[in-house]
Amino acid sequence: MITKLAYKNILGNGWRSLINIFILSLVLTGMIWMQGLYDGWSRIARRQMQEWEFAGGHYAHQDYDKYDSFSLDKSFAAVPPKLQDLIDTGDAVPILYSAGIIYPHGRLTPVVIKGIPAEQNILRIPTTHLRIQDPDTQILPVLIGRQMAKSINVVKGDILTMRWKEVNGAYNAYDIQIVQIMDTPVPSTDMGQIWIDYDKLNEVKALKNSCSVIVLKNQAASTYVGSPWNFVSIDQSMKGVDAMIQTKRVGGYVFFVLLLFLAMIAVFDAQMLAVFKRRKEIGTLIALGMTKRQIIGLFTMEGTMYMLLGSVLTATLGLPLFFYFGFQGFPIPQQMSDFNIAGASEPIRCYYSPIMILSTFMIVMAVTVFASWLPSSKIARMKATYALLGKV
Amino acid sequence: MRKLLILTLLISVSVGMVFAITAEDILMNIDKNMTAKTTWSSSRMIISTRRATRTLSSVNYSKGNDISYSEYTAPAKEKGTKMLKMKDNLWLYDPSTDRVIQISGNMLKQSVMGSDLSYEDFMDDLELLESYTAILDNDITYDNRKCYKLILTAKTSGLSYFKRILYVDKERMIPLYQELYAKSGIKLKTMKLSDVRKVGNRWYPMHIVFKDELKAGSGTTIINDDIEFNISIPDYYFSKAILKK
Repeated sequence: MITKLAYKNILGNGWRSLINIFILSLVLTGMIWMQGLYDGWSRIARRQMQEWEFAGGHYAHQDYDKYDSFSLDKSFAAVPPKLQDLIDTGDAVPILYSAGIIYPHGRLTPVVIKGIPAEQNILRIPTTHLRIQDPDTQILPVLIGRQMAKSINVVKGDILTMRWKEVNGAYNAYDIQIVQIMDTPVPSTDMGQIWIDYDKLNEVKALKNSCSVIVLKNQAASTYVGSPWNFVSIDQSMKGVDAMIQTKRVGGYVFFVLLLFLAMIAVFDAQMLAVFKRRKEIGTLIALGMTKRQIIGLFTMEGTMYMLLGSVLTATLGLPLFFYFGFQGFPIPQQMSDFNIAGASEPIRCYYSPIMILSTFMIVMAVTVFASWLPSSKIARMKATYALLGKV
Repeated sequence: MRKLLILTLLISVSVGMVFAITAEDILMNIDKNMTAKTTWSSSRMIISTRRATRTLSSVNYSKGNDISYSEYTAPAKEKGTKMLKMKDNLWLYDPSTDRVIQISGNMLKQSVMGSDLSYEDFMDDLELLESYTAILDNDITYDNRKCYKLILTAKTSGLSYFKRILYVDKERMIPLYQELYAKSGIKLKTMKLSDVRKVGNRWYPMHIVFKDELKAGSGTTIINDDIEFNISIPDYYFSKAILKK
């Protein structure tokens, strides 16, 4: 009976009910879409970083700190025999890092030189371009990313000079030729990075088969190697990007918490007005034997129904939107795709997990039920005679 | 008469052979002129870039090749900046933040105050005879002075510049021009030394132009306005305590 009565009351409220349902639907749609966007972004970033940088995880030299460029020239060691077997079978790829300086158009520009085997196929970096045909060549082929090319103002085919220090401290320098400008979506493989053949970098650094990191094709291949190598899992590698996306997600939450608050005010206001307008009706219901708990239940049920109808509207109006952004993706503006964030270079396909949808629904539901219950709780303390006289 | 001529010729050749200067002798003489137990100087560093030229003044104290201290006195923006080098360590005091920072690692490759000298160059004081093997090449005339041309190759693998070419003034035993090379043979930097003056019992260049050959711009000029050698400098000048004084 309460459900039927609540439904009739909602219909009786007319436009006010419609507006409440619409606002709740808007909040629900927005919250699901926003969370789907950030979850989608996180998934793309993870996929791209695995494809271009970490694959199945990597071993890093214990002295290497990606946030400290000073660590570059001391964080290398000979490839351990256990991992050499994986490299030989194509299940791992060694990468040597070195600090260096290039001089595009006569400007001194510090870079990180990364030596990677030309024949590797674990990472998507197009390393085949790094093959050196003539071992005595004085011009070394290198790869750079599009953002890097833009920032130093070079194009494919340009030749410039690169300088670095050998392990023993002597300066070495070669002319390098940009043989390919790659479209990498991962900024840490692009900005300030010069990719060169692994063996050649070892040679010109006066090293032999030494590297700074060893990237594994599959995480399952990870094994204890011992000092000076530390295994870094994909989750550990993703920490920085995850934290950045989480920061942006929290920023989005603030907006939707405000919107949810406004929706709560709207429901609360509608219920408050209903209590005021229907005080004689409430008095009559109490006089007819309805308990106070049933009266509160009636108003709370009305609030819950607002939410349920809002969900129906969300399903009707929001679904096409969810499907569109789930399949076509949300195009990132050019200004933002230039930021140093992985996953921002291609349209973000929203990802809506059932847990996320259910938890969002539950949050909005709880808030709506609370906003409906609050005004009606006063009724519980009302005497039927006062209600019939219109004294609340 | 014919025998006398041959004898004279033989004596001349022998005397010539006895007194022929070797590359090592030249390096030893350069080191004698360019290095000292202690040095004090008042100098200006003129930095020319594509956009502007600016001048920094400093007073400098050094002890041997490993220890030196400099304090910038002008312009106002750099006044009070101090730099202390002790062997492989370099500290910089920045008066605007009142902090001492140690320059190390990759930062040593950065240029000093935007000049063509890196912090590593600043630290790269060495005795040539000790560090390089020299070959005497053909004589050359440079800046209207008769010069020896020396080709230097590093004795050890740890030197910054694997190869150097020097034009050394025959009379004053001062390198008037230097080319510094990477191991691959690419010319990295050049130095032009001029205004050679007698300071005490040695010759010394008062004007040095340092140019990074890979970088645009006309280089960095160092002018020694005043210089003194082998004077007494208190040890206090070569301690970290001087930086925050």
